[in-house]
Amino acid sequence: MQPPLKSLDYFQKSYDIRVGQLKEKRARGTKIIATFCLFVPDEIIFAAGAGRLVLCGGRTDTIARAEQSLPRNICPLIKSSFGAVVDACCGGNLSCAHVQLVDVVVAEATCDGKKKMYELLPEYLPTYVLDLPQKPGSPEAITYFLSELRKFGKYLEDLTGNAINEEQLKKEINSSNETRRLLHRLFDMRRCDPPPITGSEVLQVMQKQFFLSPDQFREGIRQLCEEMEHRIPPARSGPRIMISGCPMSAGNTKISDIVEKKGAVIVVEESCTGTRSFWDLVEEDKEPWTALAERYLRIPCACMTPNDQRISHIVDLARRYHVDGVVYYTLQFCHGYNIERIRVQKALKKEKIPLLAIESDYGDSDVEQIGIRIDAFLEMVS
Amino acid sequence: MITAGIDAGAATTKAVLMRDREIVGYRISGTAFDFLTSAEKIYDELLLASDIDRNDVEKVYATGYGRNSISFADRGISEITAHAKGVYFLFPEVRGIIDVGGQDSKIIVVADGNVTDFLMNDKCAAGTGKFLEYTAKALEVPIDDLGTLALASSHPAGITSMCTVFAESEVISLRARGIAKEDIAAGLIAGVAKRIMVMAKRMALTDHIAFVGGVAKNAGMKVAFEKELGVTLFVPFEPQITGALGAAISAHG
Ligand code: SF4
Ligand code: SF4
Repeated sequence: MQPPLKSLDYFQKSYDIRVGQLKEKRARGTKIIATFCLFVPDEIIFAAGAGRLVLCGGRTDTIARAEQSLPRNICPLIKSSFGAVVDACCGGNLSCAHVQLVDVVVAEATCDGKKKMYELLPEYLPTYVLDLPQKPGSPEAITYFLSELRKFGKYLEDLTGNAINEEQLKKEINSSNETRRLLHRLFDMRRCDPPPITGSEVLQVMQKQFFLSPDQFREGIRQLCEEMEHRIPPARSGPRIMISGCPMSAGNTKISDIVEKKGAVIVVEESCTGTRSFWDLVEEDKEPWTALAERYLRIPCACMTPNDQRISHIVDLARRYHVDGVVYYTLQFCHGYNIERIRVQKALKKEKIPLLAIESDYGDSDVEQIGIRIDAFLEMVS
Repeated sequence: MITAGIDAGAATTKAVLMRDREIVGYRISGTAFDFLTSAEKIYDELLLASDIDRNDVEKVYATGYGRNSISFADRGISEITAHAKGVYFLFPEVRGIIDVGGQDSKIIVVADGNVTDFLMNDKCAAGTGKFLEYTAKALEVPIDDLGTLALASSHPAGITSMCTVFAESEVISLRARGIAKEDIAAGLIAGVAKRIMVMAKRMALTDHIAFVGGVAKNAGMKVAFEKELGVTLFVPFEPQITGALGAAISAHG
């Protein structure tokens, strides 16, 4: 076994510092915005002088709270997120301090479950909804999304009292791109065989991305990349696996943990806690609002239709990272990712890359059953 | 070379002994208390009956849900791989396997004994032996007679629920309405067959299909599957041992 990566401590420490920082910032009048999805551009929030936290729920203990009002048969991410908000706003003690740190929620019109959940939020927190076109490929979609982003900018200006100027926006684009470039550097190293870092380690880091300040996060990735360059690859000769599908929000590491415990090594994650969060850069020498609209509509989320860009992206990743197999992960009741599996599987079949579909929630009751499938799948691809 | 395969299933434990790739003997027994004790017991019985000394067995491979508990095994392999190897040994021409056991059902796609794809249902009792076991009880028919009984039916009853709990009460109300037992039995079997057929079609099984697992012993079930698929199924002489057999073959290397 390799000694643990020292830079992982840095992430943990920054996390502890961050809570205090946010409290201080708020006391000085900075607005803190909660988001639940990658489609809400950080750059605009930061350019308005606000802070942001991504509050996607990965914890299981807030689900029961949510089920007091939400139907049971919706995705655990939605239930967990909603439960955290309700609990925090009704004097509960389940959720960590996160919800108490935010002023407003900026939601987005993505999947049906989230959209309808957001309609319930204003009772607890002020909520703004960013609309999205669902057919991302057309020029009309860009035009529409551009107008939505400008409206969102206006909303933020009113909220914070700060004007968003183009120069500041460009600066924020450059720093977000810098983060994306660093993540590309990190992920590129995983193309090695064997890779110098495990999927479970990367997931820990990717989950922090949504909580740390961009500066803290960038510094952490920088340290991690440097440390990895001197790390002798862990002695792992297991099959190279790609995870593809739903987000794995903080608190949820179930599937990655099982896959690696069974002896495989995860070399890339096509998810919101993986490539989807950083893959495309924003064009830097374009008019910034248009550049943002174009970049964000390229996020290959299953709420888009038809989602050809995701299918080809997955095939590209599979080749680029030399994967032996793909574990396609859907959260229970997430229809978008679940149904889209059929097209993904078809495309991968053409490339002769096997796929194992796993559907799961945040509970532990199916760990054994998933283990049985993973065992068989790894034997199959070895 | 002598090898052994142990299939530590949730409901039954199976053991197979092989000498130079020939089956020497096998044993099947209910899994009692824990996996290891059950396995030790039938393994010892099998060795004794086959007149083989434990020390002469070069390698023991375990498979099945409880394989990690079999401390005397040299290695564990997944039941999917094990079934594929076992069936390949018996029927090399087979392309697909339908395995319906007490607790789960699986569809395995194979090419020359290697798994190329698989699908499992183990989250709910529908489409497994458990479904038949519970509903047979509601029908007050021994599970082993359910298949033969079903074959005598000319008008299978329509059973709409695939949930075990609901199907049980459906059986009770069908009986109250005076529907013949054989028609209800046939309806139950057709229901399971349809459920498993959906899985088989999803995996695009068409021809050269083996049917294994405890439920394959059920004559009515085989007939119902063959009707749905329009082909004759390959059923081993002892459909419960293909997992243990595959483990013993893998131990051979
Ligand atoms: S999966 Fe789609 S909707 Fe969910 S967080 Fe990611 S981008 Fe947003
Ligand atoms: S995982 Fe699926 S159902 Fe859940 S919030 Fe994301 S897109 Fe919606």
